[in-house]
Order: sequence, then structure tokens, then C-alpha cells
Amino acid sequence: MAIMQVHRSAAPAARPGHAERRTRLRRAAVGFAFMAPLLVVNVVVIAAPGAMSIWYSFTDWTGLGPASFVGLDNYTNLLGDPEFHNALLHNTLWTLFFLTVPMAMGLFGAFLLSHIRRFQMLFRVAYFIPYVVATVVSGSIWESLLSPDQGIGDGLAAIGLPWLKDVNFLGDPDLALGTVAFVNTWQWWGFLVVIFLASMQAVSPQLYEAARLDGANRWREFWHITLPGIRPTLMFLGLMTVIWSFLIFDYIYILTQGGPAGSTDVLGTLLYRNAFANLQAGYAASIGVVMALVSVIAVSGFLYLRRRGWDI
Amino acid sequence: MSEPLSRRRFLQLSGAAALGATALAACGSGGGAGGDQITYWGAFQTKDLEKYFKENFIDAYNKAATGADALKVNMTVKQIETIDRLTQTAVASGSGPDLIATFGPAQTLNYVGNGNLLPLDPYVAQYGWQDAFLPWALDAGRVDGKLYSLPANLETMAVFYNPATFAQHGWKPPTTLAEFEALCQDAKGKGMVPVGAGNAEWKPATEWDVTWVWNTFAGPTALYEALTGERRWTDPVFVDAINLLKGWFDKGWFGGSTDRYFTNKNSTVYSQLAGGGAALVFNGSWAFAEIGPYFGEAAGNDATWDFAPLPSLGSGVPAGVQPLSVGAAYSINKDCAQPARAADVLNYFVTDPARQLGTLAATGLPPAPVKVAEKDFPASTDPRVRRQYLALSSGANIGYTTWTFWPPKSDTYIYEQMEKVLVGQLSPQDYCAGLDKVFQEELKAGQRPPVPAPTGA
Repeated sequence: MAIMQVHRSAAPAARPGHAERRTRLRRAAVGFAFMAPLLVVNVVVIAAPGAMSIWYSFTDWTGLGPASFVGLDNYTNLLGDPEFHNALLHNTLWTLFFLTVPMAMGLFGAFLLSHIRRFQMLFRVAYFIPYVVATVVSGSIWESLLSPDQGIGDGLAAIGLPWLKDVNFLGDPDLALGTVAFVNTWQWWGFLVVIFLASMQAVSPQLYEAARLDGANRWREFWHITLPGIRPTLMFLGLMTVIWSFLIFDYIYILTQGGPAGSTDVLGTLLYRNAFANLQAGYAASIGVVMALVSVIAVSGFLYLRRRGWDI
Repeated sequence: MSEPLSRRRFLQLSGAAALGATALAACGSGGGAGGDQITYWGAFQTKDLEKYFKENFIDAYNKAATGADALKVNMTVKQIETIDRLTQTAVASGSGPDLIATFGPAQTLNYVGNGNLLPLDPYVAQYGWQDAFLPWALDAGRVDGKLYSLPANLETMAVFYNPATFAQHGWKPPTTLAEFEALCQDAKGKGMVPVGAGNAEWKPATEWDVTWVWNTFAGPTALYEALTGERRWTDPVFVDAINLLKGWFDKGWFGGSTDRYFTNKNSTVYSQLAGGGAALVFNGSWAFAEIGPYFGEAAGNDATWDFAPLPSLGSGVPAGVQPLSVGAAYSINKDCAQPARAADVLNYFVTDPARQLGTLAATGLPPAPVKVAEKDFPASTDPRVRRQYLALSSGANIGYTTWTFWPPKSDTYIYEQMEKVLVGQLSPQDYCAGLDKVFQEELKAGQRPPVPAPTGA
């Protein structure tokens, strides 16, 4: 009887399982069907050119005609190329700067905004506006503002504040990289404010109330509640900052084209110059592979930390 | 005047069809229309130039092409900033245009090396190109004895000045090193910028200075010897010229100071010249097309401009060297389905002196290096422009521009590394040694464009 019951109960149970599997398969097929166009686009636009770039990085391709395999020559040349070292250093400095200064500004701005109710939306919009301005537009505006002839310095001098007069922010090799980073920060930090603020608003208010009851000041609230509460967002933006910093090209190209005297040259501008001015597309591809490698390392680190149980 | 695109790029492109503002053509196969028409990629700095080219070249050709085997030209307008990259990518992928426009012999050489172009020799006699072009200009398109491109524009360099400023200070256009330095010293002492200059909009503008200093200090003969491998770039005559240029920058003679040079725009340079703030501007003949808005009625002032030949800075170098620039050339893609018809379009675009000089008069943009006489110029041609092109047409005292006769990597080296010389990060000796290394490699690899022999005064 008991066996019968088992059989009875087992038999009907097997049919829904099979049907369920079919349903799941059908759903998966439908899902893949919807995804397929995007996958095809990604294969065509990203995977295939990416694979070709890797191949070309081992060749002497000029950008035209056939390419001959040269083994690791391009990578060996990269190691001994002072222009590559210079560009890599600038990308590294850029990354460190954007991991610290704009992030700190964004966090601070968001934290302050999270404590106000009136006009919060106004500030959010005001901070965010630069982010939606086209790079070429904001780059051109800042180029004028920083002009030694008719820019901010000249304007301040006209009202009796001469400290910035004759400071050529984009023409002085010692100032140019920092200046371009400043301009990029102006556009970028408002975006960080909005993202961090959205994340902060998801942190439970009860935690803040409890902290206040325990006598915590604002700094301790920020350090012990806010930061842990937004850690996933923080880590994600940190990861993206590393990736984006090694892809930087637009502001540099618009404001300085890598000059003066290579003082703002980054991997992106070096790649562009080698590919299209020097007609060394193979060598340029090897620079591109190095840039991609940095992203791979950053993403791998991110995934590794997640697997180790980090809440990111 | 806002000018987001470099003069050099713009005029290299622009000169491409003798119009000065167009880039390139394509016909038939690949990206073209499969042989039933000649497709053309044009790129223009302004809508006016696009309109002028369409009416006077495309529409005019199509109207005249009425025979049984005639093909129409179908022009597609591309972005001028990217047309060279588009062409390169298209040709590399085997779908390039049939009529390929390049920025001159150096770029053409890359297409030749990869077997992308058809020899044009079968059409030389048919269209009388040997007689139509200045001899050196046609030779610039030959590789290993075969003609692969037709030159589409002709430029040189000169000294631009404001006659009123000169009269006010009692100056004359300098013809020697001593005169040049005395003028600069005087101008500096009077609070002026001796030489208006800047590379903010176009980094390679730095090679303009290297070009004119090498041509006037080392001279065309020494340059020819170095370009043909008989002399090294480490020769003192080249190093000394760079030393001289560096010294002038250090004195603040160029652009006001070295850092200002890096941020000066074209508008600053021409405004200074028009307003009497700068004494001289060393520039290419492409300035004819862009200097106008800063002078006279258009600018709301009564300033005028003029130009003089380059001075002689070195012993034995005659004054008035004319560094030649062929900033654009046309070739036919090897995959062209109708190469004979493509050659016909090409011939129409660049050889007729009336069309070339009409374009020059109407737009100020450079003509192809065809033989012209004074009577060929339309009456509306600016007399200063006419004077320059008549001098160029004589073919006397030619020199060499770095962007036309140096191989690509050497050319990039010249302006990129010169910035390091200017800020003191690289010595003139090391600069020339570095160039020599890059150049010898490219020379050995056959990447140096054809170089005409110097012609003397």
C-alpha cells in the first residue's frame, strides 16, 4: 500500500517535472532568441574586431594591405619605447587621481545633499548638468576659460586679482595634465554625486537614528554607516573608473592633443598617432591590447573579490 | 574665425581636387557602384566650398559626359576630419573607392606598397599630362618609374606681414639672417610679438617652422642630399638650424613665449598681424584662403596684408626658396571597374588651368601644380595670390616641405619631438640623431616619397 502510494505519488510527480523542463527549455530558447540579435552585434562589433586586434598586435600591419607575423616584436618594442612609458605613466596618474579626488568630491557632495530636503533636486540637477554636455562643447568652453589671453586669469586680473594672470594652464607642460584632469573632473563629479546619493538613500534611516542615539557624530555616521552601506556602488564605480581612465582620449585630444611635448600623452593618443600618423597599425594594436588587459585585470579583481564573499 | 580643423589637413584635402576643399573620389567597385557610375567622396570645410565644388566639378563633369561610354560622377560627402581614415579603412578591407585621394606622395606610397593602385602611365600621353603639369610635380607621383598619382594641389611657404606695421616701424621684409634677427629684436623691444605663431589647433604646425628654417639655413641642396641618403640628419647644418630655431623660441620671438605658442590659435596669430601686435607670420600659401576675414572690411579694420619670399639664413642659400608642398594627390584603385573613365574624371578635376585658377580666384584655395601663364588668371584673382602662383609656376629655387617629402614616421617625429626640443627636454643634437635613425629605417624600407632635384635660383 505504501509502495503503491509511492508509485502513485511518484508517477504524477514525474510528468510535471518533464513538462517543467520543457517549459524551462522553451523559455530559455525564447530568451536566447531575444538575446541573439544583441549577441550577434557584440560578436561583430566587439569580439571579432577584438580578436583581429590581438592578431594584428603580432604583425607589422601598416593599416593597409597584408600583415606579416612578427611574433612578440611589437610587445618587445613597447617595453623599450619611452613614449609608451610616458603614456602609461600618465594613465596611471590619471587613474589614481580619478580614484581619489572626484570620488571624494562625489561622496562628500552626496553626503551633504542626503542631509537636506529643500532644493535637493535643484542641486542634483545643477551638479548633473555638466555630465550631459557634449565633451567637445565643454572642452571648447574650458579651452577658452583657460586661455592666458582672454580666460579666467585675464578676467581676474582685470578686477585686481592678478595671481592667475599669465598662467598658461594648457601650454605649460607641468600644468597641462592636471588641468585636463580638472576639466574632466568638472564634468564627472556631478554624475558621481547623483549615483552616490541614490545609493545612500537606500541605506536604512533606522541605522542613522540608532547611531545618533548612541551619540555618533556626522563623521562617524558617514564612516560606519554610509560607506559600508554603499560599498557595492563604491566598488563598482571604482572598477569603472580604472577602466575608463585607461580609455581616456576625448578631453586630451580636444584640449592638448597629447602636448605640449608629450606632457598629456596617454595610451589612447599614442595608439591613435601610431595607427593613423605613423601607419604602424600593428604596433598600435599592441597598445590597444595592453589597454584592454588593464580592464581585464580590473574586472578579474572585481570578480575575485565577489567570489571571496565581498558584498560588492 | 573658428577653425576646428587644421589648415594643413584641410588644405591638403581641399587641394585634392584643385578646389582646395575636397577630398576624394571613388568610382566603380567596392564601395562604389559597381562600374555603372563613378562615385566620389567629397569632404569640405564649409557648405560654400561644397556647393562650389559640386557645381563646378561634379555637375559640370556630368553635364559634359554625354558620350555612349560616359559615366556620371556620384558624389557622397564625408566628414573632412575622418575622410583619410575612412579611405584607409575602406581600402584595407578591399572595399575602397576606385579613385583614391591622399594627402600627397608620402601617403600614396603606402597604397602603392600594398598594391592598391593602378599605374596611370597609359593615360599620360592620352591626356598630355607630361606637358600639363610642372615636371617635378608629375615626377613626385612616380614610384619605381611608374606613375601612380596625379598631384592635386600646390603650396609653398612665405613670410606674411602687415605693410602698415612695417611702414610705421621702418622695416622691410627680411632677406638675410641678420635682417631677420634685427627685426625680431626691434619688435620684441617694442613689446610686439616678432613672429606670430601657434600650434593649438594643429600640432603639426611646428613642422612648418622646421621646414622653413631647414630650407633657408641648410638649403635645398643639403636637404636633397639628406633625403636621398647622401647626407645624415646629424650633419651640423641641420643641428645648427634647430639650435637657431630653439634659441628664437627661448627669446620669446615665436608666439610670445614657448608656452603661448602651444595655446595660440590661428585666430590669435592673424589678429595679432592685423592689429600690429605681431611683425611677421611664417605660413603656407594656404593662408591666402583664411587670412581674409582678419583684414579690412570683413574685420572692421583698415589693415592689409602682404607676403614676401623666405629670407636666406645660411651662407650660400639664396633668398626666396620655395619649399614645395603637394598636399593632395589622386590615384585609381586597382579594383576600379572602369579605370579609363576614372582617369577621365581625374584629368577633368586637376589639369585644366582655367578651372584650377578659377577656383583659386573664387575660393583662394590652391590649384594643382599645372603650368600656368599670367593670362590664365581670371581678372578677379587677388594680385598677391597671382604673384605667388606665378613664382611657383616658374619652378625656380624649389625646396622641400617635411609633410610632402619625408616618410610618415619621420614626419611625425619632426613635429612631435620638436616640441620636446622647444621645452628643453631634448637637445637639438639628440633630436637630429633620433630623426636620422627613424629616417634611415624608412629610407631602407622604401617609404620615402620621390624627391625632385633642387633647381637653384
